Amino acid sequence: MKPINQGRDHTMLNSEPAGLLLPVEHLKQKRVLLIEQFLEKKLPNFMIAHSNILDAYFSESFARYEPLQEMTRKNPLVLVAQGGYGRQEQCIHSDVDILLLFKKKVPPEAEAFIQSLLYPLWDLGLEVGHAVRSLKECISIGKIDFQVLTSLLDARFICGEALLFDDLVEEIRKQVLNRQTDRLIAWQVENNRNRHAQFGDSSYRLEPNLKEGRGGLRDYHVMLWIAKIISNPAEGRKGLEDAGYLSRDEFHMLSNALAFIFVVRNRLHHLAGRKCDQLYFKHQIRLANELNFDEKKGQKPVERFLGKLHGQMEFIKQLNRTFLYEIGYARGLSKKRPEPEPDCAPGIVLRKGRLDFSSEREAALGPGLLMKIFEESARLQVPLSSHARRTLCKLLDLMDEPFIASRSAMEAFEGILSAQTQGFSVLNEMLTTGFLQKFIPEFDGIVHRIQYDTYHLYPVDKHSLRTVQTLKNFRWLPETDPFYHKIIKDLSNPTLLYWAALLHDIGKGEAEGNHSAVGEHLVRNFFSRRGYSPEDVETVSFLVAEHLLLAKTATRRDTNDEETSIVCARRIKTADRLKMLYLLTVADSMSTGPKAWNEWTGTLLRDLFLKTLGIMEKGEFASSEAIARVEQKKARVVAAWPASEKEVPGKLIEIMSPRYLLYSSAEDICDHIRLFQTLGNEEVVWKIAPINGSGTRTVTVCAKDRPGLFSKIAGIFTLHNFDILEAQVYTWRNNIALDIFKVKAPLDTLFEHEKWIQAEKSLKAALSGQLDLSSALQRKLRESRHIKPPAGIRPDLVVVDNGSSNFFTIVEVFTHDFTGLLYGVTHALFQCGLDVWVAKISTMVDQVVDVFYVRDFDGQKIEDPAQVQKIKSAVLEVLTVEKPEAFHASEKDQAF
Amino acid sequence: MKKIEAVIKPFKLDEVKEALNEIGIQGMTISEVKGYGRQKGHKEIYRGAEYIVDFVPKLKIEIVLEAAMADLVVETIRKAANTGKLGDGKIFILPVEEAIRVRTGETGKDAI
Repeated sequence: MKPINQGRDHTMLNSEPAGLLLPVEHLKQKRVLLIEQFLEKKLPNFMIAHSNILDAYFSESFARYEPLQEMTRKNPLVLVAQGGYGRQEQCIHSDVDILLLFKKKVPPEAEAFIQSLLYPLWDLGLEVGHAVRSLKECISIGKIDFQVLTSLLDARFICGEALLFDDLVEEIRKQVLNRQTDRLIAWQVENNRNRHAQFGDSSYRLEPNLKEGRGGLRDYHVMLWIAKIISNPAEGRKGLEDAGYLSRDEFHMLSNALAFIFVVRNRLHHLAGRKCDQLYFKHQIRLANELNFDEKKGQKPVERFLGKLHGQMEFIKQLNRTFLYEIGYARGLSKKRPEPEPDCAPGIVLRKGRLDFSSEREAALGPGLLMKIFEESARLQVPLSSHARRTLCKLLDLMDEPFIASRSAMEAFEGILSAQTQGFSVLNEMLTTGFLQKFIPEFDGIVHRIQYDTYHLYPVDKHSLRTVQTLKNFRWLPETDPFYHKIIKDLSNPTLLYWAALLHDIGKGEAEGNHSAVGEHLVRNFFSRRGYSPEDVETVSFLVAEHLLLAKTATRRDTNDEETSIVCARRIKTADRLKMLYLLTVADSMSTGPKAWNEWTGTLLRDLFLKTLGIMEKGEFASSEAIARVEQKKARVVAAWPASEKEVPGKLIEIMSPRYLLYSSAEDICDHIRLFQTLGNEEVVWKIAPINGSGTRTVTVCAKDRPGLFSKIAGIFTLHNFDILEAQVYTWRNNIALDIFKVKAPLDTLFEHEKWIQAEKSLKAALSGQLDLSSALQRKLRESRHIKPPAGIRPDLVVVDNGSSNFFTIVEVFTHDFTGLLYGVTHALFQCGLDVWVAKISTMVDQVVDVFYVRDFDGQKIEDPAQVQKIKSAVLEVLTVEKPEAFHASEKDQAF
Repeated sequence: MKKIEAVIKPFKLDEVKEALNEIGIQGMTISEVKGYGRQKGHKEIYRGAEYIVDFVPKLKIEIVLEAAMADLVVETIRKAANTGKLGDGKIFILPVEEAIRVRTGETGKDAI
């Protein structure tokens, strides 16, 4: 930064006669006026007017500086405007870029003149960039410093020695431009690429950089510079058309786009009070209002403003890309040249690495070739030439209703939709030519649709295309994420997923309503009209309708609760759909922006996905039969209560586990509810029911759950000589345990009732700690001698399974039956710090298979291998020790 | 002044935020964090391949407030974040020496 207000010499200027305005005062007044008129929208050519008054300032200053004549008599001087000032794109706070060019060596007196010229401008707050050089210096620097050379490309004569200016232009052309043309172009292309990498894609950005970003003004400048390097087209932008770089339409669209962006840029400079090209959030709403955008179709003014801006920048971006590609190709600068050039479908040709129609007349015969050229583009991974794009845009109206609804067009489109791509998106070509919107009219509503927040980084249309691309990357780039790659390869019909990705946000085009629901409706219509099978229509509309389900559930529900996964599984229904929905969720989030996706969210989502998948693959709780059965049961249970009391079963049903609801009959559930109602403040209640005509009893125990409850009940049965045949354990989510046992009736049924009363008493005593169950059982078991079948038929086996359930560790015990077995095993589990959540005890002849779903007291699975080993040994020890032949009191004590 | 740092289960955020709003706490800082304490990570399996979650996703809430409010805020968070299960999180109370509002330079109570 130059020092301001210091060490300058205004005496020369101040000594002028009063009454005549100084050039700088003139400039100051005119600038204020111009800016005012511009803001009131009365001055369409603000930038030209702005550079004109600067020109006037310099001319006047030249004329008034008396020593100048003497200084330049033998060494002529010319003042040259460069850069934006040279192009007459002088925005409110743009730099004023000038070159003072002497014919010969720069004289020492020039210093004072330059000060008199520049200081007043600095005082006005203008940023002035200046260079003072001799012609020779200028040329030699231009030869090596392409940045300097680039500013010279925009050189414009202001005042001074006009012939010298002509010399400059001529020498630059002769000595630099004509000699190093290809190097210069390559440098521009490289610079263009680096700039894009540094500033990103403005046509997507929330806070786009109007100048440097992709789609920004520089993209246009680069085209202009390259055209100037090659052929020096006469008049700036118009020259681009005259020299054949742009079509007439493109030239007009470019002029409109630039005019809009410049208006925004000037207003932004004014608002920010400085040179500012980044369209920050804080200015956006104000600018939208200043530019008279209004609310329309549910879109806020600021969203419509940004939508238009993005559209204009997108156009410039496309133009820049096509231009550079074709220049590069024409001049052999392109490094990748597909060779040999492959054959194309009839009517399509590959020219200079770009696809084109063989003839416009042929293309105009019907819509077929329009689709065909995109198919070829997808197949060969080659973009359309600018000529093909122009032709296509003109012919879009060929795409009538019968064509877009035809099976063949849909199949062609699906081929493109699911085609393998490498960094080049045919869908994007379709979007930017308007083909996509024509083919899927519903898509039109989301084109350039902005959501004004910091979460949705991209306009909805771009986001949708990115989502498709993200999925394709999962499919075709296995190394980026093997997990998603694996899943997408498992899908039965990935095309449906790509469709859903393309259309998932289509509901955002409508003003009203929840976008998922609106989208579902649009999608259902779209596919039904096109004759898709009801299953496929269902799948895609389901994915669109539910595309937020997993993300919401993962962040707002407890994924460690089995219920959460079961609810998801039931809603999603099949594993295939779950996989699609999961991938859609991940791709959608990844393509939204960094606030929507990070590893943290990724972990939560994957957890939910795998748990839900686990539930589905077992089919136990999520099959449609299971769902229907549970619903019927619920209805029957509620129906069993009188109208005034329906609240009782209604509330309890909500806290019953899916497992319990699935495996208990409606009658049993009713009985259990009634039993629960009698619990009150008691620790435990039970109900004994004989099973018709057999010697078995069902004992339903309802108790406040606590670790070790199950083993205590089992122990009590053993203590009172009730043989356990089967047992089931359920836990409601209000911490009530329901343990259901089938036991053998005593051999002597005479005093059975009294025996049960005894047993109940000792259960309560054991629970309250008054009875030392463990010692009592030891005494009892020591007295009784077991009659065991010969050992060794099948060895005892304890399996600890962590793979079958995401929520429980499953312990399976295979052994021979003996008295006290169940107590022994469950007590050992309790001693290992485990809680029994589900137990299935069954005895087949003498072979016992006991299955326990356990978690530790903290509610976690047991995955530590040492801990797993400890459980196995503890249970095995019970089995071994309990056998009569190995019976030793001392060892048994350890087991208990 | 005190700083309350609470690590909670992600799905409890809305409840905690609402509960804090009700007692007049307007501002807080939220960050997505991962870690483990007694609730260890776990592993998941997809078609034979294991995916290990060694750090469990949690949310961290940070609030700086007047010391007198600390107990109420802690109790409010504790109640709202409680599921009765492992991994419900922890709350830490730290002393804060000074707070300064960047825009105005206000300090102490006025800055929080």
